[in-house]
Amino acid sequence: MKALSIAFKDLQIFFKDPGAVFLLVLLPLVFVVVFTGALGAIGKGEEDARIPLPVVDLDGGQSAQTLLGKIDAAGGVRVEPYAQAEAMALLDEDEIDRVLIIPADFTAGIASGQPATLRLVNHPDADAKQAEAVRLVVDGVANDMALEIQIFAALQQMGEMQAGMPESSQAFAVERMQAQARSQFERAQTQPLVAVAQREPAQEAEQEESLGLGDIAVPGITVLFVFMVAQNTARSIYDEKKVGSFRRLLAAPMSKATLLGGKMLPGFITGLIQIAVIFAFGIVGLRLLGLTPATLGNDPLATGLVVLLLALCSSAFGILIAALARTEGQIGGLGTLLVWVMGLLGGSLIPLFILERILGPVPMVVPHYWANRALIDLMVRGRGLADVMVEMAALLGFTVLFFAIGLWRFEFD
Amino acid sequence: MSEPILIAQDLVKTFGEIHAVRGISLRVARGEVFGLLGPNGAGKTTTISMLTGLLEPTSGSVTVDGLDLKTHTNQVKAKLGLVPQELALYPTLSARQNLNFFGRIYGLRGKELRQRVDEVLHMIGLADRADDAIEDYSGGMKRRVNIGAGLLHKPEVLFLDEPTVGVDPQSRNAIFESVEALNRAGMSVIYTTHYMEEAQRLCHRVAIVDEGELIALDTPTALIRSLGGGILIIGVAEGRAEDVMDPVAQLPTVKSATRSDSQLKIETHRLQEALIGVLDITNQLDVPITSIEMLEPNLESVFLHLTGKKLRE
Repeated sequence: MKALSIAFKDLQIFFKDPGAVFLLVLLPLVFVVVFTGALGAIGKGEEDARIPLPVVDLDGGQSAQTLLGKIDAAGGVRVEPYAQAEAMALLDEDEIDRVLIIPADFTAGIASGQPATLRLVNHPDADAKQAEAVRLVVDGVANDMALEIQIFAALQQMGEMQAGMPESSQAFAVERMQAQARSQFERAQTQPLVAVAQREPAQEAEQEESLGLGDIAVPGITVLFVFMVAQNTARSIYDEKKVGSFRRLLAAPMSKATLLGGKMLPGFITGLIQIAVIFAFGIVGLRLLGLTPATLGNDPLATGLVVLLLALCSSAFGILIAALARTEGQIGGLGTLLVWVMGLLGGSLIPLFILERILGPVPMVVPHYWANRALIDLMVRGRGLADVMVEMAALLGFTVLFFAIGLWRFEFD
Repeated sequence: MSEPILIAQDLVKTFGEIHAVRGISLRVARGEVFGLLGPNGAGKTTTISMLTGLLEPTSGSVTVDGLDLKTHTNQVKAKLGLVPQELALYPTLSARQNLNFFGRIYGLRGKELRQRVDEVLHMIGLADRADDAIEDYSGGMKRRVNIGAGLLHKPEVLFLDEPTVGVDPQSRNAIFESVEALNRAGMSVIYTTHYMEEAQRLCHRVAIVDEGELIALDTPTALIRSLGGGILIIGVAEGRAEDVMDPVAQLPTVKSATRSDSQLKIETHRLQEALIGVLDITNQLDVPITSIEMLEPNLESVFLHLTGKKLRE
């Protein structure tokens, strides 16, 4: 009860400070709008978002070039030419997920009406959804191309017939042309000129799509600003010590743990209020502004658990800053430095796949990384609780670590 | 002395190499106003911090109403009220919100809390400004709320740590009257100050603390009586104090005399007679006098007598 009294008093003080309310509750919404709207393409724009399709062209002829041009232009798939040996080696090493092989006699074969088979080889660990998407694109382009060739051949055949019988008008009858086209179409369906043979991936693998800033704006900004509350917690403790009210609290009949709990609780509650406001704005406000709205994902309960852990971790971080910083300037400097550096490193402002590519495992040393991973998995990728257990355990670990160091270094006197 | 409410036994506090408190023992009687007098840095606040459970003593013990502070910490703390030297309040909250909060952390709830807050607001004369933010109050009003916050739970022992620092004379008088009223109501008060006139006016007994040690403990009257007549401090021309030292020390009204290059400190049974004798000697020896200070017997001169320095040095 006494911890609640301290928390209630601190929240009264917080809500009487319009600057603090703006900084912690309203400013994040501005960031969300900017990141979702104006900067939304960053991350995606740098990367060609299309699925890469390594191709080994053993034919090198006109039809093969036409086929590849159409696949690349179809959207969703990006053609990348490789030599056969290189492609197969990379596929073995899991450096590429698939390779499309165009046979050596492709152009000559289809010119003479002989069926040709394209081979699409997927790595066993390749993403099944991506493999299916690539197959559909290649299948579609190959079918269209084959049909075009077959119908063109039929019309050419009719032209030749007409040339052989100049006195007969029967060759130009509409019924005759329709029958010929239908016949070619049916033949294309049952005996496709270009077929695609695919080796399926063995299992569904980790989804590695690259997300842009727009996709991560709501989770990223939430994580960044919730950790800013830590600075508020530290400043509140410093202010209490400065005016002497902390001595008064220490003189009251309650344990030091209750006192610290009471000082952590407002940060936790403020964090939850922030999250509620940012999420509500992400879901409703962004839609009203004509931007892509956020969702709570397919497992809102898991999202709820992650945000509870996130708010708890932030308030424990506040105790740590209060324990380490000795002056108001240190709280401001240390807090700002830690929160922004950790936010940048943890993927709140830069997509994680870019950070991981540049820094390797370094981002894992900050709690922001784990919070961002969990929220992006749940809210953007639609995953469930079982998929974020590691991230939640990491957040809990950081919370315990921050609190333990804070308690150890905290000067009550 | 009636039954003690607070007993401190051999309190010691060291911070690394610094010995802040060196074995202070004292007993405070129920219903007593007990003064802790000493200059800044004497160890008063450290002593108060140990008596209220804010600081753990390096050694020694504190019992309140028969309960050991170390083993019954929260029970003891509930019997104590602390009014820190600082304005330990939340400036953006109103007086009522501040008092509500401090009442709640001492376990007051609901109707009892509302009643006590109203009583205290009346007691400190701020009922009509109760809902104004503290930051809009004058310094004296803030001091009154600061004291009020320590009274909400009706403590058996109230600690007032230098409550009049930076306070205007009117507010200072109001604080004195409050302390006297609380004491009349039966509350024990431990009052720290470096203003001897406050201790002399308010305290039944006074403990004089210097450099972490308790150097005297008695009623103000007994302490003053121990000094006798008073102290004369005579300033003379640089290097001439030595010339008059011996004849002055032999005057019949002088108890003892000490000197520096340009100053004589003379303890005497009778101030005026001693002053006349000293002036005769300086005239005869042609020693120019630069200043004369006569300290009537009071706690200030007791402190000077005991430590060789002034309270406000």
